[in-house]
Amino acid sequence: MISLNRASLRYGQILGLSPTTFELPAGGGITGLLGPNGAGKSSLIQLLSGLLPCSSGDVRVLGEEPYRNPAILARIGLVPEGDRFPSGLKGRGWLRMMGELSGLEGPALEAAIEKALGIVGMETRAHLRFNQMSKGMRQRIRLAQALLHDPELLILDEPFNGLDPEARILLMEMLRKLADGGVKIIVSSHILGEIAQLTDRILLLFRGRLLAEGNVAEIRELLDRHPVELRLSAEDARAVARWAVDQGELVGLRLEEGSAILAVRNPRTFLPRMQEAVVAGKLPLTALDPLDLNLDAVFQYLTKDHA
Amino acid sequence: MSAAVIPTPLQTAKAVFKGYLPRVLQARGWVLAGLPLVPVGIIMLVAIVMKAQGERVPPGLAVEVFHKALAQYFLPIMALVAAPAGIREDIEQRTIPLMLARPATVWALPFGKGLLWYGWGVLWLAFACLGLVAIGGSFEALPRMVGSLASAYWAELAFMTLLGLVFKRGSLWGALYLFVWDRAIWILPGNLQRLTFAHYVENISGTKSSVVNASHMLAQTQVVTPTLVAALVLFLAGCVFWALAGWRLQATPIGLAGADSEG
Repeated sequence: MISLNRASLRYGQILGLSPTTFELPAGGGITGLLGPNGAGKSSLIQLLSGLLPCSSGDVRVLGEEPYRNPAILARIGLVPEGDRFPSGLKGRGWLRMMGELSGLEGPALEAAIEKALGIVGMETRAHLRFNQMSKGMRQRIRLAQALLHDPELLILDEPFNGLDPEARILLMEMLRKLADGGVKIIVSSHILGEIAQLTDRILLLFRGRLLAEGNVAEIRELLDRHPVELRLSAEDARAVARWAVDQGELVGLRLEEGSAILAVRNPRTFLPRMQEAVVAGKLPLTALDPLDLNLDAVFQYLTKDHA
Repeated sequence: MSAAVIPTPLQTAKAVFKGYLPRVLQARGWVLAGLPLVPVGIIMLVAIVMKAQGERVPPGLAVEVFHKALAQYFLPIMALVAAPAGIREDIEQRTIPLMLARPATVWALPFGKGLLWYGWGVLWLAFACLGLVAIGGSFEALPRMVGSLASAYWAELAFMTLLGLVFKRGSLWGALYLFVWDRAIWILPGNLQRLTFAHYVENISGTKSSVVNASHMLAQTQVVTPTLVAALVLFLAGCVFWALAGWRLQATPIGLAGADSEG
């Protein structure tokens, strides 16, 4: 469905996206573009949504080059970053124009507007001017315009920025429903927790480079050489620390009250040994908490490694 | 999934025209509407006062106002006010990517939005010309007055739209052209006069500003272009400028940051 073959994007002298190669298969599902500001997420989105041509390499979306390609643009919905709308227009009127620019007209257009407003829950408030709407409402209208023409691919750039927690949850639910309905969704964010909740596939970008791709577990596989932090709680934390040092897998250790924080080089061998020791009564553990098996930690490791 | 078809250039222009229609009823639209009415309104008041005092309104007053106020100053100001509200506004507000991401015909976008401001401006220019008739202008000359202003506004608005897409300070270059070069028509020799909008306004309206006479130093003999040819030239010039503006937008990659749009 989407393939990049050493595609890069330059803004004059500035490299927005280094030559990048990856493929996303056809079918529904959500793919997260993850990375800090300036990582190249928006550059990648602009290539995929046909806004900018790649500076080198090749971009294929739905089998064709998307830049200024109406046949492909008719199958893509884009929700760009930011809170910008044409001044002085009302939601429904603007949606009508966007629908017409997507080739819809007459009853089909009106039906599409109602359907899209229904999906985003804005049926009763679309008559308002943009400056009378809350940011969350404007975000929903922006999502509605991208859904008018039933796109096969929906691209959202930082859609959660500035939304309150309730609006974020609602937007996530909407995106999940759309993905379940067969829409392929690409969503970018630098908020790691949100992406981790939302996506089943992640592309990790940093400084214009694609660092890793896969789900959280697959990315974690890439990190065998990186330590994993574990909190081992015990009444005698020093005894636990001594045992851990004896295993020869530690790269870091610090003691806190009632617990030892271990940085373990290879958890695949360390954890089974620890389990055996606990069962054998050699290790008086009361609790084990992995501190960094979430996406934040993966991101920290990878970006630190490439910085 | 997607059942959308690709809109034609006409559908694209129509969608933008309709979509932005409410904009003309907002502040900039009323400023545009007021511009041609201001000089005519002032002169109408003066004429009323003169009549009340038993004085005769000078017979050439309407023609003077038409050329010296409307055609020379207020028409270019209207183009300068309306052009930035066209597609340039979407570029500056960074709302253009939303339209460029649709399968619409990119080159038709400037024309669709420009047509809206053209139609609105012509409506008020026509009212202003009616006002000129009320202060003694010839009713027979009304179609030619409206026609000349409408033709010139067509070309000047397209010209300003094009400059706005080519240069970061398009309005400045446009203002220089309209207020310096165009005003120099009476000292321009021969065919150079044909590179001014004022030349065509004079030839379509059938009247000339009294600015040019033999007593002026540097004054040149004013060349003549037949009325229909003059109207055709302005119409075609406008078409060319709209086409170039469309081509410029089509050929310019504009991303979400909008930086690439700047000249």
